[in-house]
This record gives sequence, structure tokens and C-alpha cells, in this order.
Amino acid sequence: MTTADPALTRPRVLVTGGLTAVRHHPLIAVLAAMVLAFQLSTGSFLNPANLRGIATDAATLAIVAVPLALLVISGYLDLSVGSTLALGGLVAGWLAGHGQSPVVAVLGALAAGAAVGAVNGALCCYFGLSAFIVTLGMLTAVRGLAQQLFPLPLSGFGPGFAWLGGSRIAGIAAPVVIAAVVLAAGALFLALTPAGRHVFAIGVNREAAHLSGISVRRTPFALFVVTGVAAALAGAIKASVLDSVVAGTSGAGFELTVLTAVLVGGVALTGGSGSILGVLLGVLFLGGLQNGLTLLNVPTFWQQMAQGTALVAGAALAYFAPRAAR
Amino acid sequence: MTPPPYASSRRGFLALSAATALAAAGCSAPQNTAASAKPSVSGGTRLTRIGLDYPFTQLPLYSTLLKLSTTRAKQHGISLLTTSDNANADTQASNLNTWVARKVPAIVSFPMVFEAAEPIAKAALDAGLIWVTYGGSLQHQSADIQFSFREGGTLLGEAAARWAEEHLGGKGKVAFLTDSTIELGRERTKGMIDAFTKLAPGVDVVAQEQAIDPDTGLSKAKAILAKHSDLNIVLGVTDAAAYGGFKALQQAGRAKDDGKTFVGGQDGSAPSLLAIKQGTFYRASAALAPEDIAAAIVDVPRAVAAGKSDASAQVPIALVQRADTARIDDLLAQNDPGAS
Repeated sequence: MTTADPALTRPRVLVTGGLTAVRHHPLIAVLAAMVLAFQLSTGSFLNPANLRGIATDAATLAIVAVPLALLVISGYLDLSVGSTLALGGLVAGWLAGHGQSPVVAVLGALAAGAAVGAVNGALCCYFGLSAFIVTLGMLTAVRGLAQQLFPLPLSGFGPGFAWLGGSRIAGIAAPVVIAAVVLAAGALFLALTPAGRHVFAIGVNREAAHLSGISVRRTPFALFVVTGVAAALAGAIKASVLDSVVAGTSGAGFELTVLTAVLVGGVALTGGSGSILGVLLGVLFLGGLQNGLTLLNVPTFWQQMAQGTALVAGAALAYFAPRAAR
Repeated sequence: MTPPPYASSRRGFLALSAATALAAAGCSAPQNTAASAKPSVSGGTRLTRIGLDYPFTQLPLYSTLLKLSTTRAKQHGISLLTTSDNANADTQASNLNTWVARKVPAIVSFPMVFEAAEPIAKAALDAGLIWVTYGGSLQHQSADIQFSFREGGTLLGEAAARWAEEHLGGKGKVAFLTDSTIELGRERTKGMIDAFTKLAPGVDVVAQEQAIDPDTGLSKAKAILAKHSDLNIVLGVTDAAAYGGFKALQQAGRAKDDGKTFVGGQDGSAPSLLAIKQGTFYRASAALAPEDIAAAIVDVPRAVAAGKSDASAQVPIALVQRADTARIDDLLAQNDPGAS
């Protein structure tokens, strides 16, 4: 019997593993090509300061994309995250501006987000209403509430609150660290916990999951709450980074951006499939694309065309490539 | 108790930034008065109701204008009606048609699509109502409330160019945060860039990026700074976008009062005014006064009703810099009418 030399087999395993990963997540190849193209054409895309900027911008997107992806995998949807983000930022900013500690300010935001998520979850999971309709309604209602409560912009939250968006942990921006924790938690939840497997089961076939003894209401309800909390946390981070927040415009359109990241990352809108790695790739793809087009000084309308085209191409690749690889 | 700094009213980050195209200056339509208006002592008619149709309710300026114009209207015994257009031209048309059918005696409308508002304005005039166009002119109207959007950009561009000559010896790098999606934005952008490049030809224009909100301003400015870390000047089509640039520069390590950096915007939004007042490198804003606008919203239709021949108003715009402390305080107070 012959034994292969580990030193020779390790690179082969890595290459094979890498190819498998690309087959399952073709967005890796797209992302790599995009990075290469932007670096060659701008010369500054891979500049550490630029990468830090992309990571910080993408952090808030990732924080919301992870729980939203879990929700979509379980067969639901939350379109209210843009307004929840605004409400979270406003509550945190208002509390910080009134002299509350940053911790209290963030907890206040999280409570507001949890409340929105609980309403969404109760109506969708326990009353059986359409998640699309409920969260679309909440998108408008929460925005209206935010504008009613805070009709004027808030700013000047103080140095304590600035820590959330501006500090560094081991040299890494705090929002990026928070996003990394959320990504890791999401991946571990899906891969290692029974509840994570239940998310897939509910998304594939709710009736069958119910008959298998899975709580088809409690898990999605919890995901709605977590999504609301994550959106509010992202709002608090944005308020901290900008040291200001406006009720009418903060987070406007964010729900579509985050949903795009989730779908481009290969999460099926019909539920039942998806991965956190895919979500991460979707987030990086969107962030990198936006940044690269800015570096290239591409005129506005061309940027919009390029973004739209790239998103459709990325989503098509994410959809067709795994099927072709089977 | 002195209100905390953040609590003072904030002029909209995107104030007026969503304004629609300015129609070519047209002839004034016959100045009709509403059937429901009452005879006044002066011989004209006295208004009892004014409908304010401002479609961009998401802007903080809307809240400010609503408070100020309601107060002013009350002083004249007028009740102010409002629409909820949700920044949607179809909804706006529907709401305006309802008002015309209900014979609201005077309508002040900020049309999202001027061409779409033209037949509604004509119907209003035919019904004997007063129609005041906000932010532009229509062929059919009783009067209008105008703003010089280009002048705001020009004032900012000139101030930044003068600063570049004095502090950078006419050299350096500038990035413009622009808007090319609506006429208002294009006017402001053109005024800003033309004035700056004419007066400071030695300063390199390293970027012109679309940005009207702070989030976009922040991420665009970060990307520009990654390529041009020695960027000196950021000028914004709105204060909101410029404020994002201001934050990006600070996050890149620029001291708040760096002597070689200039950020400026347009609108006179509260966070920007506070930054100017604090002596940071956010140095200028081309600002409109909400009280002037609110006054025009009430006074222009009143003047039409009173039979005044030239009732239209031009709302002035002025550059605000650090030395203008009293003006900044006044604008901040106007932005938070509830606090005063």
C-alpha cells in the first residue's frame, strides 16, 4: 500500500476545495474578476484605505443581510428593514443626544427594532398574513411613525456614541467587527443548530416541517424579531458614523439593497436554500461594485446601468452555475 | 432649560433637493379669486383657506415649513390644508384635482412634473381659484414663488475658489458631489462648478460624483480619498451630501479644523450650520431661510386675492460662513420653530 505525501496532497486538496467552492458559489469568480479589473484600471482599488472603506460601508448591509437571509430561507420576507433602520438610528441618536450612555442608546434602538420585528412576526407567523403585504405596510407605517416622532434631523450625539461607528477593535473598525460576529453567528446557527436545520425545513415545505414536529411559527417569528433588531442596530451604527440622522431619508431604499445582496448571494426567494457565505459574497459584490465605479469616475447614469447589468448577471450566474455543475 | 444642541431644529438635509424642473418663465394667467373667498376691507377678497401641496414630505424642511406657514396663516385667519403626495406625481395630480373639485380657494403647489400640473392649474383658474406655483412657473398660474438655485451654487463655488486662492495658493484638489437627476440639482451643480473652475483654474477637479444624501456622500468621499488622500476641497449640491464628505475626511484622519481643507454645501441644514459655527473645516453653506419661504406660501396667494398685480415672490439665498454667527443662530431657530 502506498501513502501519498501529505506535502504534495495538501495543495491538491486546496485547489480541489477551491474549485468546489467556486462551483457552488460562482460569485467568488465574479468577485475575483471584478476586483482584478478594478485594480488594474484604477490602481487604487486594493489600497488598504479603500478596502477599509468598502468593509465599513458593507458592514451595515451584512448585519441586516444575515438575519434577512435566514428569514428568506424560511420562506418569509421583511421589506420593512429600511424604515426600521431609520427608527433605530433615531431612537439611538435621540437617547445619546439626551445624555444617555451609548449602551442605553443602542439598547433603546434594539428594543424599537425588536418591537417592529415582533409585530411583523406576529402578523405573519401567528395570524398567517402575507409577509410581503405586512412588511410592505410596516415599511410605510414605521417611516411615518419615525417622521411623526422625529420630524427634524438629529445630530451632535457626542463622543461616547461615536465609539459605535468610529472606534477600532484590534485595528479593525467596530462596525466590521460587529458584522463579522453576525456573519459567524449566522453561519454557525445554520450549520450547527437544530433550529438552523429547521429554517431550511420550514422553507422547503412548511406542512411537512409541521408534521415532523418542527415549530413552524416560533422559529420564523424569532427571525423576524432578530431581523428587526439587526436593522435597528445598523441604524444606530449609521447614526454614529454620520453623527446625524434624518427620519425621512435615512435608510430609504435600504430594503431593496439588502434584499439584492441576499438574492445575488444565491438565497432562493422561494425559500429552502441559501448560505451565509453566499450572503457575504453578495454584500462584498455590491460594495465593491459601487466603490470601483466611483474610483473609475464613471458618470452617474452609466453607473446605474452598470450596476443593474452586473446585478442581473451576478444573480443569473448564482442561479445557473450550481445547476450546471451538478 | 437650554435644549441640547441636536434638538435645535434642523433645516432639511435634502431640503428642496427633490425639486422638479423649472418651467420656462411663462405669462401670468388672469388673477382669479376663489368663489369661497370673502370680500376684504381693502376691496379685494379675503382668503379663508390655502391648500399647500408640497410633495416631498420626507424632507425635514417639510415639517419646518408646515409649522411656520400654519402659524403665519393663522395670524391672518386662514386655515392651511395639506396633501400627502408621497413624492409621487400621480398621487399629486389626484390630490390637486380633488382640491380643484372641492374649490379650495387658493392652491400653492410644488409640481413634481410641471407639464402634468399645467392642465390642473388651468382647471383651477377656470374654476375661479388662485394657483401659485412653488419653485418654478407655469403658463397657467396666478403667481409663483421662485428660488434661484443656480445662484446658490455660484455663491458656494465663488467662496470656495476665493478660499483656495488665499489658503492653497490657487493649487490643490477638489471633488464635487453633484446631482444630475433633477433640474434643481443640475442648476445648483452648474452654478457651483462653473463658478469654482472659473475663479480657481489651478485646482485639480479629481471627481464629480452623484450624491445628495449623507450616506452616499460619505461612501463616495471615502472612495475619492482612497485615490486622492490629499484632497483639499469637497463641495456638495446639498448640505447633506457635503456633510457625508465632511465625515469621510474626519474619518480619514483630517483634524476638524484643518487649515488646508474646505467643505461646503447648499440648503443651510442644521448639522452643517452647527459645524460651520463650531469653526470646523465645514466652512460655508448657501442657505435659504425657511421663514422667507413660509411667508411667501401665505402672502403670495393673499396678495393675489387682494388684487395685487405683481404678487410673485423671489426667495433670497445667502452664503453663510463662520463669521455669520447671528445669521446661523437665526437659521437654526427658524428650523426649529417649536423650540422657540
